[in-house]
Amino acid sequence: MLAELKGVSKVYRSGTGRRAVAVEALKDIDLAIEEGEFLAVMGPSGSGKSTLLHILGLLDRPSQGKYLLLGRDVTELEEAEAARTRNRTIGFVFQAFFLLPRATALKNVELPLVYRGLAKSRRRRRAEEALAAVGLADRADHLPSELSGGQKQRVAIARALAQDPAVLLADEPTGNLDTASSHEIMRLFSGLNREGRTVIVVTHEPEVAGYARRIVRMRDGRIVADETQR
Amino acid sequence: MRLSDSFETALEALMAHKLRTFLSLLGVVIGVFAVTALVSLGEIATYGIKKGLEQVAGRSVFVQPRFQPDRPPLKFREEDRKLLSALPAKVIPYVFASATARDERGKPVDLRVLGVPGDFPKLDPGIEMAEGRFFTAAELKRAAPVAVLNPLAKKRLFQRKTPLGHSLTLDFGGGAGRARVVIVGTTKPLTGLFAGLQSVQVYVPYTWLWQRVPWIRPGEFHAFELKAGPGVDLNALAKRVERLFELRYGEDRVEVQNVAVFTETLKGITLALQALLGGIGALSLLVGGIGIMNIMLVSVTERTREIGLRKALGATAGEIRTQFLIEATVLTLVGGVLGVVLAALVLYLLVAAVPFFEVFILSPKTVALALLVSALVGLFFGVWPADQAARLDPIEALRHE
Ligand SMILES: Nc1ncnc2c1ncn2[C@@H]1O[C@H](COP(=O)(O)OP(=O)(O)O)[C@@H](O)[C@H]1O
Ligand SMILES: [Mg+2]
Repeated sequence: MLAELKGVSKVYRSGTGRRAVAVEALKDIDLAIEEGEFLAVMGPSGSGKSTLLHILGLLDRPSQGKYLLLGRDVTELEEAEAARTRNRTIGFVFQAFFLLPRATALKNVELPLVYRGLAKSRRRRRAEEALAAVGLADRADHLPSELSGGQKQRVAIARALAQDPAVLLADEPTGNLDTASSHEIMRLFSGLNREGRTVIVVTHEPEVAGYARRIVRMRDGRIVADETQR
Repeated sequence: MRLSDSFETALEALMAHKLRTFLSLLGVVIGVFAVTALVSLGEIATYGIKKGLEQVAGRSVFVQPRFQPDRPPLKFREEDRKLLSALPAKVIPYVFASATARDERGKPVDLRVLGVPGDFPKLDPGIEMAEGRFFTAAELKRAAPVAVLNPLAKKRLFQRKTPLGHSLTLDFGGGAGRARVVIVGTTKPLTGLFAGLQSVQVYVPYTWLWQRVPWIRPGEFHAFELKAGPGVDLNALAKRVERLFELRYGEDRVEVQNVAVFTETLKGITLALQALLGGIGALSLLVGGIGIMNIMLVSVTERTREIGLRKALGATAGEIRTQFLIEATVLTLVGGVLGVVLAALVLYLLVAAVPFFEVFILSPKTVALALLVSALVGLFFGVWPADQAARLDPIEALRHE
């Protein structure tokens, strides 16, 4: 078992006193994800997809319920331990790529390994391997501004792969891409999944979700459907 | 995260905004400059004071009657000179008078007339002849009407012409009438410390003053200077002089000064200068530090998304804090280096321009202190921005526009 959420809720409170509002972004979520799965989370905007992903990725904590990651209770991890666990087990891919604009593709891919305290040479070797895995070995010295959108997202995926994470978490990874590039990125995820990598993709595009084998549908913070395709 | 990586990251961030980095540094540069100059100037001045005093005043103790409004002034006599000759020092007697002379156009010039022994330059190495000669012991003995001018007297009375061989009429006033002297020489300007303190002076044999000025009686002296040989403790010598006169005339009749008094005065001046520089330094370091804090806060805001990303990829709050603290410290250290270089430059020029400052001193200790101070400023004023960065919530940071 890779990850298991048990009765997880997330309440955002904003404002104070009489103006205080509470938004229940997640309501009593039960979700189990096996290693090697390729899962898409679908749902309309505001349905809680990103919140779910942030909790799975240890960027946020549940307000209620329990989260087990690789069999370990990570519900109440303290900040530094959560950061270290993210570094070792979670590979994030974002809609807006989030590459450092002044760093080359290679340096960008090395970034998570810097926080793992790896020596330069090892960092570099792993980053080169990761870039090769996404087909960008020849773009290692390019700056993000010299790359297309699809290439940028591949660099971001390489950055996640360099961590050798237990799971890839992608939040609308094709949201900023044209159709051709979107398919290119999703084929890359498919390939990685076939090699055994667990992949979780948040999307509201059915075409994108079509690459996944399991689709979880959300509405108003609840899981309303959970289908595995054959 | 390795420390070397933290430094590399900090440098990369600073290099990304070179102009802004430089401008934000100016306060620190000026502050460190002032601190460095302050410490170095102290060292340079101390050296200058020691050297200057030994050169000009030599290792001297001065004795003068103390001014007391309720008693007639004490006058030294030949016996007093004999009394002092037992001490391990050469004794130079002085007789003082003031007079007026007229320059070539007839304008009156006020002069300090110093009655001194013959061959005075041999007694006081600070006096050097520019032209002519000093009057001799023989001329002193026969109270010859001869005089030597200091550079200021020469300039006031004769402008650029040589005064050698010319006679000078001194008017002592008070019904004393006039007396003529022949000018036999001029002295060179004093160097170093007292260069600026010289008055218009003319040296004559004190015997001549005894004869010519009615209110100066033959045999009387107005001051003694004791030139101590090497290895003589000046303070001890001054004490002995004091005791001798106390036994002879009673308490508090004479004033004994040694070079240490001047040293104290000059130390006071240097201290005032240092206090000023210290004030400027502290103020600019404060302003500079706030500037650094401001630029770091701007940097944190600008890089909010980057910070969010780093956290998402596994940076701990502590690592983010360290990174920004290192960045602020490296920033102020660069300012510190620039400040030290600036101080070295200014001090070098100052030493070249001001005779009082004799040697250029910039000790490694001073440099180390300056750099330490600049690093501490960065560390101190970096704390708040670094903390802001460390506290950022990764999700919100990544959402930041
Ligand atoms: N930090 C927050 N503070 C308050 N409300 C939030 C916050 N983050 C998300 N929400 C709310 O939680 C709900 C789910 O948001 P989100 O998970 O981003 O949805 P999705 O990704 O499916 O569009 C939305 O109503 C959103 O406004
Ligand atoms: Mg979302």
